[in-house]
Amino acid sequence: MEELNAESPRFSVSEFIAVTNQTLEYSQENGVLVEGEVFEFKVNQGKWVFFDLKDEEGSISCFMPLWQLRIPLEDGMKVVVKGSAKVTNWGRFSFTVQKIMPVGEGSIKKSFEKLKKKLEKEGLFAADKKRPLPEDLTKIGVISSTSAAGFADFCKIINARWGGLDIKVCHTQVQGLAAPDQIIRALKYLNERGEVQVIAIIRGGGSADDLACFNDEELVRAIASSKIPVITGIGHEVDESLSDLAADIRASTPSNCAEMLSKDRVAESNKVKDLLSHARAGLLQKIDYEKESLANTVIAMNAAVSKHLDALSAKVEDNLQKIRREVFAKLDRAESDLAHNLKIINSLNPDQVLAHGYAILSGKISPGNVVKITTLKQEATAQIKKVKERK
Amino acid sequence: MAEKKTINQKIDELNNSVEWFYGDDFVLEKAPEKYQSAVKLAKDIQKDLDDLKNKIEVIDKDFSKA
Repeated sequence: MEELNAESPRFSVSEFIAVTNQTLEYSQENGVLVEGEVFEFKVNQGKWVFFDLKDEEGSISCFMPLWQLRIPLEDGMKVVVKGSAKVTNWGRFSFTVQKIMPVGEGSIKKSFEKLKKKLEKEGLFAADKKRPLPEDLTKIGVISSTSAAGFADFCKIINARWGGLDIKVCHTQVQGLAAPDQIIRALKYLNERGEVQVIAIIRGGGSADDLACFNDEELVRAIASSKIPVITGIGHEVDESLSDLAADIRASTPSNCAEMLSKDRVAESNKVKDLLSHARAGLLQKIDYEKESLANTVIAMNAAVSKHLDALSAKVEDNLQKIRREVFAKLDRAESDLAHNLKIINSLNPDQVLAHGYAILSGKISPGNVVKITTLKQEATAQIKKVKERK
Repeated sequence: MAEKKTINQKIDELNNSVEWFYGDDFVLEKAPEKYQSAVKLAKDIQKDLDDLKNKIEVIDKDFSKA
């Protein structure tokens, strides 16, 4: 009995439970994380979730409201839960879960596939819901951890490629149980402000556990319902999260995300050079065209002159022929007339008459007169003896 | 004061200048002046491209709190 009277504190049952819970609360001020395997998973009245969390040597009873369960759960899955323990008024030890996330590749994959199927059915990943990146992008919202390597890669690439962008960064955790809610708050913040044209969710590579937060159902829904288009650049090429599927555009990495959101100043510079070359080529082409046009005009002009000259020349030749013909005709006629005249003249030549044996008698024909007789070849004198008239 | 043109606006302007050399409005007498303007615009764009800097601002809000 003496022992019972010692200085040990003395409580009623309910006081003891309250003190125990207070002690537990102090020791788990920010909640604790417990990792284990799910057993005896059940949902009561469509509102409350109960399951045991076990490892090789122990087991705790867990409880949570159904609305806080943001991943598909089933027996055998390995999970990490965040919450706090307390003793119920009936003396049972219970762990109240606030957050839960699968751990280990197998559980993550199982949870991923189940949730993917469910959300796919609801049309959250439908291709026709995807929006393209806005044209003339100048205002970008980024959700990432500013201390993460992925964010540094994003900044490095986007600054090297392009400038003049106004980038608003929401610093959040990008892994762990707290990450989904922080990212959801950042998404809500950027959507409410409406200052950016696109929201990029960025996180560098990591293990399946590190990236598991991007398969959180509420986060996936928040991405799908964002008024502002969302692009994700999470992990590496091979990593696919449900956030990627819900986003409008998926970049394979943070660097790839920066590439997709920015033009390349080198490419733009080359484009400007090409444009200038194109202008030069256009100018030269026009000059060539003008030259050719001028040459064609000269050729056409020459041809016209030549044609005109040919016509004139033909006309001259024609006239010459005509003149020549007329001259020859006249000459022929003159020649003919001349021959005719010559013939007449010849016919009048006394010698022609004499050649026919006639003679010319010159002198007065009267008896006793002496006359001269001329033949073709001789001349003689004779005396007229008698004259009588011819009948 | 006229608002400063963006790079994209300048590139569009350069595009239009280049199209002029291929269009029906082309006049040989105006070509040297037009070409010089295009060269000047291209130099402006190159300078703008070199000078462009991004503004990255981390929003002063704690997203860990609801």
